[in-house]
Amino acid sequence: MKPPARRLAGTFLAGAGGRLLPASLPWRFFGAAVVFHALAWLALLAGADDWTGWHGGLGWPLAALHLITLGTLLSCAIGASLQLLPVATRQPVRSQRLMAALWWAYVPGVALLALGMGRAEPHWVAAGAAAVLGALTVWGGLLGLNLRGARGMPGVVLHGWGALAALGLLGLSAIALVALWLGRPLLDAAAARGLHLLAAAFGVMGLLVFGLAYILLPMFALAPVPDERRQVASGATAIVAIALAMVAAFGVAPNALRLAAIVAGALALGLHLQLMRHTLAAGMRRDFGRALVLMRIGWGSLVLALMLALALVLGAPVETFGRLFGIAVIGGWLLSFLFGVLQRILPFLASMHAARGQKRPPTPSALTFDRPLAWHLGCHVAALGLLAAATVTAWPALAMAAALVGLAGALCFGIFFAVLMRRLQRARDGGNRPPS
Amino acid sequence: MTSSRQVSRCLDDEHRAHLELLNRVEQALTRSAGADVVALAASLVLHLEHDISRHFDFEETQLFPPMAEAGDGDLAALLTEEHDSIRAVVEELTPLARAAAAGALEPAGSVALKRLMLELVERQVAHIQKESMALLPLLDDLLDEEADRQLAFAYAAA
Repeated sequence: MKPPARRLAGTFLAGAGGRLLPASLPWRFFGAAVVFHALAWLALLAGADDWTGWHGGLGWPLAALHLITLGTLLSCAIGASLQLLPVATRQPVRSQRLMAALWWAYVPGVALLALGMGRAEPHWVAAGAAAVLGALTVWGGLLGLNLRGARGMPGVVLHGWGALAALGLLGLSAIALVALWLGRPLLDAAAARGLHLLAAAFGVMGLLVFGLAYILLPMFALAPVPDERRQVASGATAIVAIALAMVAAFGVAPNALRLAAIVAGALALGLHLQLMRHTLAAGMRRDFGRALVLMRIGWGSLVLALMLALALVLGAPVETFGRLFGIAVIGGWLLSFLFGVLQRILPFLASMHAARGQKRPPTPSALTFDRPLAWHLGCHVAALGLLAAATVTAWPALAMAAALVGLAGALCFGIFFAVLMRRLQRARDGGNRPPS
Repeated sequence: MTSSRQVSRCLDDEHRAHLELLNRVEQALTRSAGADVVALAASLVLHLEHDISRHFDFEETQLFPPMAEAGDGDLAALLTEEHDSIRAVVEELTPLARAAAAGALEPAGSVALKRLMLELVERQVAHIQKESMALLPLLDDLLDEEADRQLAFAYAAA
């Protein structure tokens, strides 16, 4: 008999049961993300008057941005990678104490960083950033060990290494920005800000989103794994695009390099979307509901972001178009895609945790309170639309309305999450109850 | 699916047929069309009484033991656990589906029928998901031509 060689998504599905972490480890990161999401909209509400005149400096809009990027997006990425990567790469689960310690450094660090940004206290920002960067260094180490031991799946691994390299640049640019706020500049402010945005949004989160999509979409759609050579081609082109834009951020042939970065980025996105389209077309379950709607909003937003970037290179006003670009990338692409994935993967993970010791464990849908997810979708789209309108009209009342609607959506997602946790707990209590 | 093994292709064809039926059941239940559900009940009874047990028994007796020998006992154990969960749903659902097909289902039974049908759809779709993506590619590597031929005959005769 020949040695078995499994396909990636199948490996994930089949191995998940045997490599489950204790529920408290990944779920604490997801829980933090849900809370930070609500706090982000609250921070925007606090800074709604400043939104239209904000230029990237300390203040509540910056706090809101980091509560979304670090608090929501990266918290989920950490929680998901701790649980999913050992399964996908068939690696042993590493130190659970270290994973728990990671949360205790990261989450208070993000909270302090955001509070420091909101209240314009550079020393608080520095202390929060130190905790966050320390935690991210440990996470990067765990991620690197997993990637180094991964067998096969070259596309996903390439995206992972790209994200890890970007994490290093994210840390360096963060140090430069904090030093700037402390009055000890290490880098030119615009270069540090440009590098930071590119490393965080496109490098770390963007490459993870592209890479994880090659595991998650086939799993959701019951489809074969997308062509691995094209995965690699898309990932490599995306990395080139990010690198070109980073060099441009330092003032080297900025227009030519930004234009080249946009072309490369569009090529990478085109390849990625083609693979996603083939996956969905070949899948046995082509419609997975609201989750797919959110993912499609995400992909559409990235297309829009590239068009806005092109407009910026061609001379569109930075004030308006730069901010719209940020909304499209962070809110439209990354956040929409994340919530699409979360509402599928969280009930799935919960059902696996609930299955321990039970003959007929609850199904994911039995653990899901669906209605708040419908409300969340409506609020999410409306909030992003209102924020874009506030940007175009420079009317603070619209930014305030966006924050309120976004907060309502975040609370709806929080209700979904709380009910999921409660039902998981009940299922586990039921399963552990001795027979009468 | 483009498999080089007859057994994988047979199982995949069955998975697709099962998914088609489950999709129709799910759509009928989502639309709350009582007449559609009753019309589907007869197909569902056949699926519950014949297809599921034949499919599961074959996998458990013919495929999982060699998988365990080749070091994939964890996957075999997981799939067996899911078979047991699905069998428990089938046991409750079958009499209700049979009554619905005969037009003799009480109103209280209709509620239970709908709940159990949805549970069956969800459990079976998730199970087919795992088999399509983990079990079938594994069989392509696990079985040689002779073993594949013998198993295909055995399944056809079952």
